[in-house]
This record gives sequence, C-alpha cells and structure tokens, in this order.
Amino acid sequence: MRTLSSGSLWKLIGLSAVISTLLLLAGFGYAVKDMLHPKGEAFEGTAAVPALPASGKLSEAKEISITAIGDSLTKGTGDATGEGYVKQTIALLAKKYPDADVRLNNNLAVNGLKAERLVRLLETDKGYRYALMQSNVILFTIGGNDLFQIAAGSSANKKADELDLNKLKAELPQGLNQLAKVTKLLHDINPNAHVVYVGLYNPFYDIPDFRAGSLQIQAWNEQAYALLHQYGNMSMVPTFDLFEQTIGRYLSSDHFHPNHIGYAQIASRIAQSLE
Amino acid sequence: MDRLLPLIQNEALKIWKKKRFLVILIVLLILIPIFTYAQMKIAETNKSHFKDWRNQLVQQINEYQNMLSSDRIPDEWKRSRRIAVQQLQYYLDHDVNPNSPDGVTFTRSFMSNAVTLFFPLLVLAIASDLVSGERTAGTIKMLLTRPVRRWKILFSKLVALTMYVSLTVVASAVLCYLISGAVFGYDGWAMPVFTGFVIQGSSIESSFVHAVPQWLYLLMEAGLIWVSSMSVALLALMVSVLVRSTAASIVTMMAAVISGTILSSMSSSWQSAKFIFSVNLQLTDYLAGSPPPITGMTLGFSLLVLAFWAAASLTVSFSVFTKQDIMN
Amino acid sequence: MNKAMNDEIVLSVNDLKKQIGGKPIIKGVTFDVRGGEIFGFLGPNGAGKTTTIRMLVDLIKPSSGEITICGEDIGRNPEAALRHVGCIVENPEAYPFLTGWENLEHFARMQRNIDDTRIREVVQIVGLDARIHDKVRTYSLGMRQRLGIAQALLGRPKLLILDEPTNGLDPKGIKELRVFVRMLADQGMSLFISSHLLSEIQLMCDRVAIISKGEVLAVGTVDELILGAGQYVVWQFEQPGAGRRLLEGELDVQLIGEHEHRIDESLFAGMQDVQVTTMNQERIPSLVEKAVRAGIGVVAVHRIAPTLEELFLRMTEGESIG
Repeated sequence: MRTLSSGSLWKLIGLSAVISTLLLLAGFGYAVKDMLHPKGEAFEGTAAVPALPASGKLSEAKEISITAIGDSLTKGTGDATGEGYVKQTIALLAKKYPDADVRLNNNLAVNGLKAERLVRLLETDKGYRYALMQSNVILFTIGGNDLFQIAAGSSANKKADELDLNKLKAELPQGLNQLAKVTKLLHDINPNAHVVYVGLYNPFYDIPDFRAGSLQIQAWNEQAYALLHQYGNMSMVPTFDLFEQTIGRYLSSDHFHPNHIGYAQIASRIAQSLE
Repeated sequence: MDRLLPLIQNEALKIWKKKRFLVILIVLLILIPIFTYAQMKIAETNKSHFKDWRNQLVQQINEYQNMLSSDRIPDEWKRSRRIAVQQLQYYLDHDVNPNSPDGVTFTRSFMSNAVTLFFPLLVLAIASDLVSGERTAGTIKMLLTRPVRRWKILFSKLVALTMYVSLTVVASAVLCYLISGAVFGYDGWAMPVFTGFVIQGSSIESSFVHAVPQWLYLLMEAGLIWVSSMSVALLALMVSVLVRSTAASIVTMMAAVISGTILSSMSSSWQSAKFIFSVNLQLTDYLAGSPPPITGMTLGFSLLVLAFWAAASLTVSFSVFTKQDIMN
Repeated sequence: MNKAMNDEIVLSVNDLKKQIGGKPIIKGVTFDVRGGEIFGFLGPNGAGKTTTIRMLVDLIKPSSGEITICGEDIGRNPEAALRHVGCIVENPEAYPFLTGWENLEHFARMQRNIDDTRIREVVQIVGLDARIHDKVRTYSLGMRQRLGIAQALLGRPKLLILDEPTNGLDPKGIKELRVFVRMLADQGMSLFISSHLLSEIQLMCDRVAIISKGEVLAVGTVDELILGAGQYVVWQFEQPGAGRRLLEGELDVQLIGEHEHRIDESLFAGMQDVQVTTMNQERIPSLVEKAVRAGIGVVAVHRIAPTLEELFLRMTEGESIG
C-alpha cells in the first residue's frame, strides 16, 4: 500500500469504479427493458430421455431403481415413522438382493390424489415420466380416494357414518376407467419395469353398517386385476385380507390409513411378489 | 467539473484509507466460503438421494404439492408455493436445471439472497459515517472552511459513495464466483435461465417467459441490486447528515432495513406497507418471478417508490448540509 | 510595532449578530483587521469568541451583520472570501488515518494552484519534515498543531485565524508559536488570534478587541487597553517585615491585602511573603535604591498584569482604561 502513491491509487479506484458503475447501469437498463417490455420466446429445450433399464429378472439386475406414485398410501400417511410401505419394501428388497444397489428413485405420491389426476400427471408431467422411465420397479396405489371420497362426501378422513354404499357402487366404473388409462400410460412410458399395484381394502370393515362395502372393494380389486393382467410386467398385491380380522392391529388412528406394521405387511407382500 | 474531480478524489481516497472497503472485502472473504461450504453439503446430500437434478426437482415439486393439499397451511404461503411449483415445473418441462451446481449459479443465488439485508449492511459500512464521521472527528471544520461551496463537498461524497457501492456489488459477484467456482467449477455462463414470469393471483402467466443466458441474468440481477443498494446508500447519507453520531446513524438505518425485511415476510395484510422503502428492496424477485411481499407490487412500482425515497433523501441531505450551522 | 503593517482592511466585521434558539449569543460585534497586523480577540470562556470565529469562516451563518474578507462578503460569496483565509478552529483537526502529507494533499486539492512544491514549503515552514509521511494517528498534540498551521498556510492566505492556539502547548511551544506568528506578520500576513489569557495577547498582539457576553467592550492597541489598565507591582524582600514597613511609609504606594487583589494565585507559586502593591512603575528603581540603603535586601520585583476578569471588572465599572 505504501508503494502506491495516492495519485495512482485514485486512478485505480476511479477507473474500476467507473467501469463497474457503467456495467451495473447497463445491467439495470437491460433488466428494466426486459421486464417492462417482455417478449415471450419459445425455448426449445432438448428434452432428456433416459435410457430404459433392461427388462428381466431383478435378481440379475445390478441396480434396482424404484419409483412410487399414487395417493396417501404410497406417501406413507399414517405411519408414525414416515417410512410407509415404499421404504420398507426397499429395505426388504435390499436384503433379498444383496448384490444389487436398491434405491428409491422418487416417491411422487400426493396426498388425496385421485385416478383422474394421476392420468393427467402421467400424460403431461415430464418429471413424472422422466422418473418412471429411469426405474425398473414401479409401485403405485390409486383408487382409494376415488371410492371413499365420493362415498364419504368430501374427505376420505371424514367419519364413516357419512359413507354411502350406493355412491361407492356407482363410482366404481368411473374409477376403473381411469385406472385402465393409468396402466396403459405406465406401459407406454416404461414397458420394461416391474409394476406393482397395491390393491384396495375396506378400512371400515369393523363397522357393521359398512362391512358390506368390502364387496364393492373386492369388485374393484377384481377388475383392477383384470386390467393389470393384460401386461406381463404388471402385478397386483392384495391387501384386503390384512384389514379384516386384524384391522385394529394394522390400521392407524385416523381409521383409514395403515400404521407402521400395516405398511410392513404390504411391503413384505410386494417384496415377495417381485423376482 | 475540473474543480469537482479533486474533491471526489479526496472522498474516495478517505474511504479507502479508512479501510472501509477492505472490511467489506474481508467480510465477503469470510462469508462466501461459509455459504459455499453449506451449498456443497446440500449438493452432496442431493447427490446421494437423487440420480440427477430432474429427480430432485420433481421430488421438490411433489413435496410442495403435498403441502398445498394440507389444510393447516396459511393461504399466503400456499400462494407463493403454488407459484414456485409452477416455476419449477416450467424449468422441468423445458429441461433446464434451475440450481445447477456451478460457480455462476451459486453467485446468482447468493446475490439475490443478499439483496435485502447483506448488501444494505455492506453499504452502511461505507455510508453511515460519511458525514457524521467528519463531525465526530471535527475535520468537518477543516472541510467547510476551505474555499469550496458546501454542496460541492456533499456532492463529491455522494459520487465517492456511488463508486464504492458499485465496487461492492461487483466485488461481491467476482469474489463469489472465484470462491464458489473452486468448489463447483467455473462454468455456467451460457446456461439458460427463465425470466418474465408474470404473476396473476396465485398462478403464473407464462406467455412472456423467455430464456436468457445466465451471464446476462447475473448482469441484470447485479444492476437491480445496485439500484436497491444505492437507495439504501442515499438514505444512509441523509441520516449521516442529520444524526451527529455515527453509531446512531448505523442503528437508525439498520432498524429501517431490518423492519422492512420483517414487514416483507409478514406481508399482505397491511397494504400500505408497500410504500416503505425497505419493503421494495428485493428487486431481484421480479426478475426471478417470485411473488412480491405485497400483492400488486411490480418492478415499476418498486422503482418508483425507491426513486421517491432517494429523491427525498437527496433533497433533505443537500438542503440541511448547505444550511446547517457547525456548532461543535 | 510591525514593519509590514499597512492600512488595507483585510477583515471587516460590522454589527455581527447571532441568535440561537431565540437567544442572542452575539449581540453586535464590530472590528477591522488591517494588513500585516496581529489582532487579538480577547475574552473569557463563553464570551462568544468561538461563535464569532465560526461566523468568520462560514461555519455558522450570522443572523445579521456583515463580514468581508479582502472585500468579499462571506455570506454572498464564500468561495472567494475563504480563498484568502487560513484557519484553525478550536483544535487542529486532521484525518488520523492519513499521513501528514496525505492530509496536506487532501486540503491542497480543495484549492487552486497548490502543488507539491508548496506543500513541501509549508512542511518546512512548520518544521515537520521528519515525520510528514507518518500517520497523523502517531502525532503528538504539538505536531498536530504544526500540521494544522501548515494546512492553514497552504493557500497563501492573507488572513490567518487561530482559535486559542496556545491551548495544550508547553511553554517552549508557546514561545515558538509567538516567534512564528511574528514572523508571519512580518511577511505581511494578518493574524487573528483568540485567547482567554491576557498575558498571551499582550505578548503576541498589536491590537486587540475585548469581548464579553457577546459584545465587544473595546478595540484598541494592546498598550492602550492593557498596559493602561494598570498593573500590580509585587515585592519580595529578604526581611519581609521591614520591607512592608518601608512600603507603608511611601504615600504613592498602595499596599493591597492578601485577598483583595485579583492576581492568578498560580503566579505566586514558590514565592513567600510577597507584598502586592499598585504604584507608579517609574518609582520602582528609586524605591529599590531606598530599600538597599536601609539595609533591606530586595529579592525580586515583579510587574504583574491584572487578570482578564479584573480588566473586565474595571471596564464595566467604568474605571479608566487609559
């Protein structure tokens, strides 16, 4: 500092300050112009398409990448540990295939999601499609909100006494229609992945008035199975039997979603079904 | 002008020799590595959880959507999340990574986070004792008894202040880039960034959205930061003229700036808060398309408010400084 | 008297008044300072000296009245008026974070036509060559004073205003300042020096204005105002008792009791058994001779100026001021 005379120091400060100021003024001017008179401009992004994982047995795969989509069941609502069936399935698969790298790619479940919205997401959301394309295992749940929300008036969490069995019945074809679209879209997006659909159960089995609802649930499950059956890579795990005699043991306090052990049972069934 | 230039030189040299700019550089040299380290940790965590940025982004969108479906979250908060979701979705749809880990992107986000509090703070380090410091030291008597009109003295201080505000903004960007680049890499200049999101209620009108290369975005951002810092600087200059003690001058300005930040986050319910200068400092939000603190605020509006405050402070500064009696 | 003194009016103050918060602080000050003279501005603390000086250099705007420096009105054209003035108001202030040289450069840039040669010149005049490139932070008060004077001299002013310049200086420094001030005046510069110490003004100045409570009591030459105001003669004898009796025997010598005079007590430090008198000073030699002949040893005879307070008292009491 001592070697720099105040004259040359001033020149240095002055010059860099003037250049900085001009630069910043230009930036400000451009920003104002750009924002006060914006012109839309289509941006041609180069859409990334990941390579589909090879089809084939999981036991031979080096990496097992899992994407889960669907409603609150997939989200894991009701599980105090937050794991849900998805993370527990991953843990089980990691034990089952110790040589493979088992990892969760994405869990894109949304609370309260209905089949119709899932269809829309699969059709339009590039992120969903991208994540699904990367995986060799896809887990999903859907339909619970379609049936029970309609039946219960609005929210699935509402008390069961508002449940209307006739509505439930009337809603079936509509929901299954959407499920058909979901399965088709999933197959279009990633024909190589193992797709597992978790079947529905009747959370109100222990309420005498609504035990009959189980029959409608079974009707859904049966037709859902028929839809999945068309595709060789898709399978379905049943859950209805877990929530009948042992419903008190496996259901969480909201009387709708499974608790941690409930999800554990579902996870073990999924893990068993995959090969 | 030939008479003003030596005066400006005086003021610029005094600020330099008081080591004020050195302090700013040291603060930056300490803080930026800390933030870089924090960002590096985040990047590491993300890397272990997600295959690539798209997975991370889609997960982030999903989390926002899940929050939006909850009844317990306030509407205002939901509104901004809804807008954020739409923006992230736009990035995802166009396959552009909004948080790409490189030096330029880090610099961009550091700068925009620093605009409401950090930059005003740095500016205050220079501006607060510009006049009050001369009073405390008594040198104001020497300054004002020279054959130079008082307005010229204040004007030269103003120009010197402007110079250092510019240098501070540019030095922050350069240091940020150099330091973070060592960790994240020095590229990212040409990466596209979207701007032009028009917010209507809780949704985004995307017909004006366009991509600009990140270097241009950074330049625009720096320009806006400069304007917002300058308005703080002018206000601080006024306080420094009015208040005799430097400490009081800093406290006054800090209170003003911080209260603005708090008001911004409380937002909306008090509409007329949008006329307070410090609520309008976050000009970079308009560029990024983030929702403004109070509904209905636009870039034009904020610039007008800041210009009004700046003009008022200049008027007060000059009229008081040229007339006041120097009693101590 | 000053050989460079001339009749040009360098500073003219006419009926200067200042009110602060409705209270009149300066109630009408009028005086002129001529070229090449050392003008004293004498008054006790709080008399309005500093306020007046601040008005002279445009730090404070007068409520009414006129100040002209070399013909330029300071209110109307401060830039032109201040060009002829160098000043130190109260303490000599400088930027501590700059070197002495940088400080001078700073103030040189505020005026026209001052180059490095001139800076070197003033540094030499005040004798600060050795330390001029050190930070002012490391300077002693005396060095700051020199730097302040160097700064004031930079613009070759016709009028140098020094506000209480001896404050904080040691006796050697005060003496040097006195010589220095005289040298400047000899070169034709006018000096305006304020002080609350009568002795200082007496030693340094040609003419003096005496100010009290915002008003100028008198303007005149130092001799007229101060010497004419009468001085004490203080005697110290080897045989105090005999000495006292001798003085009592003289009709034209008035002995003054220990608590009746207004001499600054500090002047008596180290002196014992002093006799304070007022008398015609021409009588001192003959009285000494008389004492010696009577076998009374005279240790010392001092002429001591009355304090400023005494002077004011006499002026306001309407006593003769000569």
